[in-house]
Amino acid sequence: MKKKSMLMLAVLMLVLSAFLAACSGSDKAGTKKEDDNKGKSGETAGEPQDGGTLVYALDSAPEGKFNYAFYGTATDAEVIDFFDENLIDYDEHLKAQPHIASWKTEDNKVFDFEIKKGVKWQNGDELSVKDWEFALYTIADKEYEGPRFDNVRNILGAQAYHDKKADKIEGIKVIDDYHIQITFDKARVNNLDNLWTYPMNRTAFKGIAVKDMMSSEVVRTKPVGLGPFKVTKIVPGESIEMERFDEYFGGKPHIEKVVVKVIDPSLSVGELKNGTLDMTSFHPSIIDQVKALDNVNAITYPGVSYYYVGFRLGTWDGEKNVMNDQKYQNVKLREAMFYAINREEWVKAFFFGVGKPVNRPIPTNHWIAADNKDLEQFAYDPEKAKQLLDEAGYKDKNGDGFREDPNGKEFVVNFSHYATQNPTFEARAKALTQYWEAVGLKTKLTMTDVNLYYDMLEKADKSVEVFFGGWSTGSDPDPTPLWGSKALWNYPRWVNADSDKLLDQALDISIVGTDDQKRKDLYVQWQKLFMKELPVLPIAELEETMAVAKRVQGVTFDVSGMNRPNNWWIKQ
Amino acid sequence: MLKYAFRRILGMIPMLFLISIIVFTLAKLMPGDSLSGEIDPRNTNPQYIQEMREKLGYNDPLPQQYFRWIGNFVQGDFGKSTRFKIEVSEVLSERLPNTIMLGLTSIIITYILAFFMGTYSGRKPYTFGDNLIGGLNYLGLSIPSFVAGVFAIFLFSFTLGWFPSNGSVDIGTTEGTLEYWLSRFHHVLLPALVLGLLSTASYTQFLRNDIIENSRKDFVRTARAKGTPERKIYNVHILRNSVIPLITFLGFDLVAIISGAIITETIFTYPGLGQLFLQSVGTRDYPVLMTLTMLFSFLTLVGNLIADILYGVVDPRIRLD
Repeated sequence: MKKKSMLMLAVLMLVLSAFLAACSGSDKAGTKKEDDNKGKSGETAGEPQDGGTLVYALDSAPEGKFNYAFYGTATDAEVIDFFDENLIDYDEHLKAQPHIASWKTEDNKVFDFEIKKGVKWQNGDELSVKDWEFALYTIADKEYEGPRFDNVRNILGAQAYHDKKADKIEGIKVIDDYHIQITFDKARVNNLDNLWTYPMNRTAFKGIAVKDMMSSEVVRTKPVGLGPFKVTKIVPGESIEMERFDEYFGGKPHIEKVVVKVIDPSLSVGELKNGTLDMTSFHPSIIDQVKALDNVNAITYPGVSYYYVGFRLGTWDGEKNVMNDQKYQNVKLREAMFYAINREEWVKAFFFGVGKPVNRPIPTNHWIAADNKDLEQFAYDPEKAKQLLDEAGYKDKNGDGFREDPNGKEFVVNFSHYATQNPTFEARAKALTQYWEAVGLKTKLTMTDVNLYYDMLEKADKSVEVFFGGWSTGSDPDPTPLWGSKALWNYPRWVNADSDKLLDQALDISIVGTDDQKRKDLYVQWQKLFMKELPVLPIAELEETMAVAKRVQGVTFDVSGMNRPNNWWIKQ
Repeated sequence: MLKYAFRRILGMIPMLFLISIIVFTLAKLMPGDSLSGEIDPRNTNPQYIQEMREKLGYNDPLPQQYFRWIGNFVQGDFGKSTRFKIEVSEVLSERLPNTIMLGLTSIIITYILAFFMGTYSGRKPYTFGDNLIGGLNYLGLSIPSFVAGVFAIFLFSFTLGWFPSNGSVDIGTTEGTLEYWLSRFHHVLLPALVLGLLSTASYTQFLRNDIIENSRKDFVRTARAKGTPERKIYNVHILRNSVIPLITFLGFDLVAIISGAIITETIFTYPGLGQLFLQSVGTRDYPVLMTLTMLFSFLTLVGNLIADILYGVVDPRIRLD
């Protein structure tokens, strides 16, 4: 739902020739926790002042699906975050926190939710759990065309309702306007993380059939939300005007008006400089230009995306991964290729100082991330790489300067990288091939159009042997959808019984119960195993970048995104 | 004339069918489809993507997909945009006014400039003024629009602050008021100037060359011989003859107005058809993409027809039948 794969991003950025602006955190935005000073904008001196207009820029046109249940791109989500609200909240380690709703559970199967009284919708209605029930029913409907059914599927009886075998969802029980009980089909550790917690206003959607909702006015041009600002006007594909919502449950916002508009990324520096733009996320490649502006703060805050180099170890048989490709099966070969890369230098050169090397398939800021001291660091060591290759039998036998495989046959690393209009991609891919050639591995680089690239990876195409990829993770820490042996998105097609066992245990309520520490321990063990097996070489993680004008105060950031905009204010 | 037009229109039908086959095949040949961008390992499971592919009919054999599309298309049902999830016609109608406004303004600018520069150059060929105009024209022709666009924004929006750098209208204005239309005009002027200035070259040079050529013709010598004032010779005798070939451009301009300016619209973040086209390619929004391509092809054919007919109208010497 909210976190998009790097593919989605790459496609978005194709037009804009910008390559990353990971989006996951922003959707689940909304922590009010005071943060470490890293993500703080400006000096928060003085009392908040009311009034003023904030101009916020999007780097590409929104699609106009302005409802959490229907949106498809991170751009739309940026807009929705201004005028709508999640019932629960995520802290700086991406753990769920009570927000409008609080919950109790004994067994992680039956959850009793209570919502705050007197929370107002922008059309004057009071928020009721029936609005949430309505959203859940809408998403479970057979006619619903959005991609969110997975967030409802695990509720007891939701699948039956979806298949029209039942006319009620058994697991949803409304007790009164403020209490609702949700029962899942079985106890899972991450039931809450995956649950859909965005209500939909019942009166606004009244009389609209589920299949027409996505194109209805309530979604397109006249959305009704719970958030700090309410939409007053939308010019499709171009700009959105919002005004302060005085009855916002989190406190009356300070800023009078927000204008969200689409500005081509090539213009954002100029607009910022002129003071005609207050906030925008920007591409890391222009960070120096943004830093040079004296009326703007360039803010970096921890992101949740990481990049890796993967190896084709097997294939996808339609249902599960089969590890049957021999070429890169030798762990020593993979280790050697890891030691050969100077990640510090590479990240500095291609990530513009806003990334850093990562040593695990989990972003550093996630609460399950293993400590670096528990993991092998694989620091740049070409000598060790050569030694490992010698040990594994990859030696230069015919004297051409490149190593042959242990059977004496020519060995060529076929490396693929996706191509968009971003010119740095080829350069950074080329740089990786040079590291490998430096330790004697002949490397051939193929740049493939991004759409075709992921199609090929999905089908485990034979021609994609060593590949560059990236993932953005969300609040649910479970790595199974990416690295489980039955996961389609396990692109290396890595199958490991121990890994599956650990991942299953970490989700098994009878083993970990509700103890987060126990769960984390299992994930740490899993990360150690992963870094020993090295099905992929984690390369780097990227920080998010955001420009905030100095006149805008009170904006804080953490890994879950920005704080709620009602806390922001403009210095007059 | 009528018979000729009718024959040409009939001839367009098979042509459009062939174009539709090519458009469809090329669109489908692009790697990936509109769903390959929606992968989200944690919440979108492969099953959903399978279901949606089935629902959208991407799994059917290509000929079947083609006939379903063209069948609906002929009946005026262009399908639903896979990206916006609303009717294609609705998506287009949101952007068409912007594009027409930009196209018309830029073409009017082109016409006016080309007319004055062309007549001046034609009347005083090989002088300093003529060479200056020629030089400027070719400079304009050789500057890529994205360079000109960014430069114009830098100069006129950021440094001088005369024009806004993005959008088609100021969201604060109320629709229908004079202020609203002024704001739209204010927004469209800079991109229109960039577009208009860069394309004056061909018009100017055509006009200039025609004027020079005509001024050497016998009827001009006759007019001079009988003492017609020079001004009248140029403004009446020569100009009227020289404008004829330009009128045929009108037909092609019809397409230019609608098809928008892909690059200029993108740089100025001006939501028109050109920008839409580019985005649809990127997101594999087949229904929008194919409808737009068909629309442009159709207009090109119609434009050609109009050009041919106009030719006959303005110059009776040319017979169409």
